[in-house]
Amino acid sequence: MSADTRTGLRDVWEPAPDRLRSAASAMAALREQGVYLAPVRHHSPACAVAVRRAVEELRPAVVLIEGPEEYTRLVPELLHEETHPPVAVLSLPEGRGVPGGASFYPLASFSPEWVALRTASAVGADVRFCDRPATERDPSVSAAVAPATDGPAVSAARQETPGEQDPFARTLMSERYLAHSASVAALARRLGCRDHDELWDHLFESRSPDALVDWRTLFDDVFAWAALSRLDYEDEVLAADGSLDREARMSGRAAEAAGLSPHAPGTPHAPSTPSGPVLVVTGAFHTLALAEALAGLPEGDPVRRRWPDGGYGSPATGDAWLIRYDHERLDGLRGYGAGMPSPGFYERLHAAHARDVETGTVRGAGASAVTAAAITADAGEGPGPGVATEVLVDVARAAADRGHQVSTPQVAAAAVAASRLAELRLRPVPGRTDVLDAITSCFVTDDGGIGPERPLGLAIAEVFGGRAVGRVPEGGAVPPLVRDARERVRAVGLDIETTVPRTARLDARRTPAHRARRQVLALLDLLDCGFGRQLSGPDHVAGRGLGLIGEEWEYCWTPVVEARLVELSHLGATVDAAGVTLLRQEEERLRADGAQAAADGVAVLVARAAVVGLTEHLPRLVGLLTRTLDTDRDLGSVVAGTRRLLGLWRSRVELGLVVGSAGSGGAARGRTGTAEGGGVADELLTLVAQALATAAYLVPDAGHAGPDDEEAAVVSVLELRALARDTRRAWADRSGSGGPAADGVPGAGRTGAPGPGPGAAAARRTTGTAVAAIGREPAAAVVRELARLRDDETTAPAVRGALLAVGSVDGDVPDDVLVAAVRGALRPGADPALAVRFLGGVLRAAPDLLLHTPELFDAVDGALRDLAPDAFLAVLPDLRRGFTWLRPTETHRLAERVAERTGSRAADVDVRVRIDENDLAAGLAVERELAAVLARDGLAHWTGGQS
Amino acid sequence: MTTETTGTRAHAASEQRPPVEVRYAEELAALAAWDTERGAERPPGWRLSPRAVRAFVVGDEQLGVSRKFYGDDPLVDRAVVALMGRQGLMLVGEPGTAKSMLSELLSAAVSGTSTLTVQGTAATTEDHVRYSWNYALLVSEGPTERSLVPSPVMTGMRAGSLVRFEEITRCAPEIQDTLVSILSEKQLMVPELGPDAREAARPGFNVIATANLKDRGVHEMSAALKRRFSFETVAPVRDRDFEIELVERQLAAELGAPAGRPAVPRDVLEVLVTVFQELRSGITRDGAPVKRPETVMSTAEAVNVAVAASLEARYLGDGRVTAAEVARQVAGVALKGDEEDARRLRHYVDNVVRERARKDKGWKAFFDAAEALWR
Repeated sequence: MSADTRTGLRDVWEPAPDRLRSAASAMAALREQGVYLAPVRHHSPACAVAVRRAVEELRPAVVLIEGPEEYTRLVPELLHEETHPPVAVLSLPEGRGVPGGASFYPLASFSPEWVALRTASAVGADVRFCDRPATERDPSVSAAVAPATDGPAVSAARQETPGEQDPFARTLMSERYLAHSASVAALARRLGCRDHDELWDHLFESRSPDALVDWRTLFDDVFAWAALSRLDYEDEVLAADGSLDREARMSGRAAEAAGLSPHAPGTPHAPSTPSGPVLVVTGAFHTLALAEALAGLPEGDPVRRRWPDGGYGSPATGDAWLIRYDHERLDGLRGYGAGMPSPGFYERLHAAHARDVETGTVRGAGASAVTAAAITADAGEGPGPGVATEVLVDVARAAADRGHQVSTPQVAAAAVAASRLAELRLRPVPGRTDVLDAITSCFVTDDGGIGPERPLGLAIAEVFGGRAVGRVPEGGAVPPLVRDARERVRAVGLDIETTVPRTARLDARRTPAHRARRQVLALLDLLDCGFGRQLSGPDHVAGRGLGLIGEEWEYCWTPVVEARLVELSHLGATVDAAGVTLLRQEEERLRADGAQAAADGVAVLVARAAVVGLTEHLPRLVGLLTRTLDTDRDLGSVVAGTRRLLGLWRSRVELGLVVGSAGSGGAARGRTGTAEGGGVADELLTLVAQALATAAYLVPDAGHAGPDDEEAAVVSVLELRALARDTRRAWADRSGSGGPAADGVPGAGRTGAPGPGPGAAAARRTTGTAVAAIGREPAAAVVRELARLRDDETTAPAVRGALLAVGSVDGDVPDDVLVAAVRGALRPGADPALAVRFLGGVLRAAPDLLLHTPELFDAVDGALRDLAPDAFLAVLPDLRRGFTWLRPTETHRLAERVAERTGSRAADVDVRVRIDENDLAAGLAVERELAAVLARDGLAHWTGGQS
Repeated sequence: MTTETTGTRAHAASEQRPPVEVRYAEELAALAAWDTERGAERPPGWRLSPRAVRAFVVGDEQLGVSRKFYGDDPLVDRAVVALMGRQGLMLVGEPGTAKSMLSELLSAAVSGTSTLTVQGTAATTEDHVRYSWNYALLVSEGPTERSLVPSPVMTGMRAGSLVRFEEITRCAPEIQDTLVSILSEKQLMVPELGPDAREAARPGFNVIATANLKDRGVHEMSAALKRRFSFETVAPVRDRDFEIELVERQLAAELGAPAGRPAVPRDVLEVLVTVFQELRSGITRDGAPVKRPETVMSTAEAVNVAVAASLEARYLGDGRVTAAEVARQVAGVALKGDEEDARRLRHYVDNVVRERARKDKGWKAFFDAAEALWR
């Protein structure tokens, strides 16, 4: 190692842009002045090894770590012997009104920051965090910037796709800039790497511990890698998302610590020159800015200009909690954007490196046994098998546990394949992608691939993702969840001072404050912490009592509730986060059901999220529902789910799904619903439209229903028709009222809704125009399919009968067409069973048609008269059933008609005979037999027949 | 078979489709020179180093080697590595995903020949996999080396070459299983020539099989055989623009230069590829789900549709290819008369195309033509 005298750059810097070359030289010059910039990638074992060696070698007086400065207060807790990574520092937004909630600063055993902390304390350095306080971030700004933020950014931003990322699990270490950099992408392409993660592995993680302990070279290379991608972004972008402000703070703190005068950089600042070097551990993306600012290069101006005149003063204070974390949330692959993916893999890699360093396999090792032990508490002794083999064996085992057997020769073949792949890709040892490719190559024996839901995919997720759960010392501060729950409940004006049950009567539709109360009560109910229960009122999840305006809850804050919340602390730091976790668990369960998942089940989940006010998650759930709709083959389930959605949309005002409506109600919390709600309500309605399209696709199935499924099919089809009608109205409300925002008056949408009848056609026309304005007619496909089914002679008779009947009611089918169809179905010679099924369908759908349409009555009457006695008997049970859809008064009026026709009295026809079906059948059979006997004896004329 | 192999080069110019090693002879030579220059190690029996094989398939601008296989570079890496191992390589996937082309490229690069091929069909017998006899010689001389006719597999074992087994799942399972002992023992017993007569595989021998596991009329593979292969699934192309480019290129290959045929305009190709991609993935580009037909919506099928549409325009239409021709061909060529699939397509047209037809002329032509098919 050519120690500190090395100021010149290695040859490899030759082709680098001038700006990078001068910054690199500046970094070397700063080392001369005792300021060591350590650019790292978060959760990189390679950087961790280098950081550790740098600390051991330099024995710095001060170690500055990128992380909100108020975390410095937590250093003792972080160094506590009972603290085991993965842990995270949790920050909550200062104003309760900030949407999105908490942010996390995760630390794994292989995070350079963690290693820096522990090693620095072992060598007696002063450890401080040096980044802008977490509370100073402005999420709305960073969300607006195109590629959002990077680095252990305090303003860890939302992903571009809302709903993909859990806003409660934002990490302070996302690295969006690197992932989106064009230079990084080009480099990856040139080196044959599939993404920036593989590129990183290729360039850095594949280095042997031997190479890694040469920390100067590693840091120079990491610096070059990150600085190249930094050049892809303009200062405006970096200023807008707060990167420059943060870099100003970090460089300012570094200057202070090193005793450099902030305003004449490069010159020693006499009074407080530290007793040793200063090591600054930050995300590599910021190193360019730090170096330029500290060395006084002109490019450092934007950052230096931000230095306040009087310095940054004493470190900011603020609340933050040390909480346990787990690998699952650390995994970049699982959508939390926490830096490197696959913590399980890198933990092993780091443990192996540490073992090598420990056992002296690495040259120059053995600096400090104390710190080594501190970092790798559970690393085993002696050289183990290669990480790749270890991982392959574990994946094979985990797969076998799940029913996918992997033989030892397969494992061996995979180990060979992994090294050959590494060789082919010019890497000294197999990296993550090489091992994954070896698994794909050798463990898969069909065309299904690894498959995230298959045993092998799950095994890989387990081993690569890791299952580690961290520990924090007992007796810390009150878990945020309990505090949050208390605050939420208090904020909406519920009384928690007494332990006597109290009752809340709420009018969620008209009073926003009540809406907020209902949301909190429902949310705590979802958590099942025994706080409150609903006594009466609408149940939006079950779809019951939706017309009711008031609702009643009983609640009581007891020690049991607090105990339960402590138990639930692992679910999340806030009530919302815990609720989200529960919803997610349910969601996972439904996802696991895969193709069997019923659309209605997912719709229930959507309803649940809406009721508890977790509107930010609706888009994701809506996405799941969208996919489920695609695979659900059950018309009944699709229709039921769609009805539930429509119900939610109708209750959008009281559920706070509309722009403006949540504003005052959610003021206590300033819920995101305010910003996104309008979109959600609209999205629900769009989803309804899409569900109708799916239903339209399934309609032909109803047409092919057999005799056993026919009834269900009739019900589904009739419900679908009603649903299509309701959707059209809803659509008209939405477009006609100039958007839901204007729909502030309770029930405004409903007043204009006409019932079926003469007015309906006019309403349909209006709807039509309004919808045309949007350019879409949601129910058209359903109406079309239903019409197709109705006009198709091969449709199951009951379904066809029902459709003709409702068609007639709606005015789509003229009476003569209906009558002709009925005559046709009941014509002499037709199969009586089919005829009766058809008639049953008509009666099920619109029994009163028989009374209002004389021609229909005649047709049915005539057909039944013409039925052969045997046939009549055979279909009688179904026939009787068909007529039960008439109301008693209708039955009586029908009886009057029949009496008129047959010349008897209505009372004789419409009579309740206290015999059952069997009696009747037996009697008829006897009669028939008697008639046969008489006929045989030539006495047929006694019964009115011909002899 | 051996004569055929040596004869290929001589007749290359007059062949309809010369084998890969002839078409890209210069590139292969350049790669071999590159290997020598670098002193790269070649696995026993290989003509090129693994890196050179990879470069041959995915291209290398600096060496002037064109890219021939698109989409999944890690898959190529895995395939190359699998061929170095004891196991064979099984390329599986839907029809039209360039499995056969990949196997040709790999054989040509590794062994310098892609013609040692067994074409699997229902009529493939054990003789095609092992060996058979020249019956005239067999009668006159009895079973001798001279009267034995080696299969491509046996030839490959002798020469230490890669052997391609196309469509292996179309063979009866017992025929497929002939490979089991060959792959595990790397030798082939010839009892007719004496109790100890055997053909031992030289280094470099291995088998690349291609298979379709889902199509109709394919057989199951035995577990024993599966264990002797590394499986690689070749996926269809996902990138829309790239698929359009592929179709365009294939179209030129099928029908000749655009000058001599009705041009298929870019917007028509876009409609075609979009329809294929959406039906293949079951999701529209706006994220709305659609019903996936059972039939294979591969790029190759898209090319077929484009070809048919072009022919229709030329001989039956006014010489202009529009989305209307495409619509008629999609229904006819792609959905081979399956009623359920027709229904799915109708659903797609009803819900997705109808919407687009309002704003876009190309889609309108498609919609009108498709509507006319079932009204």
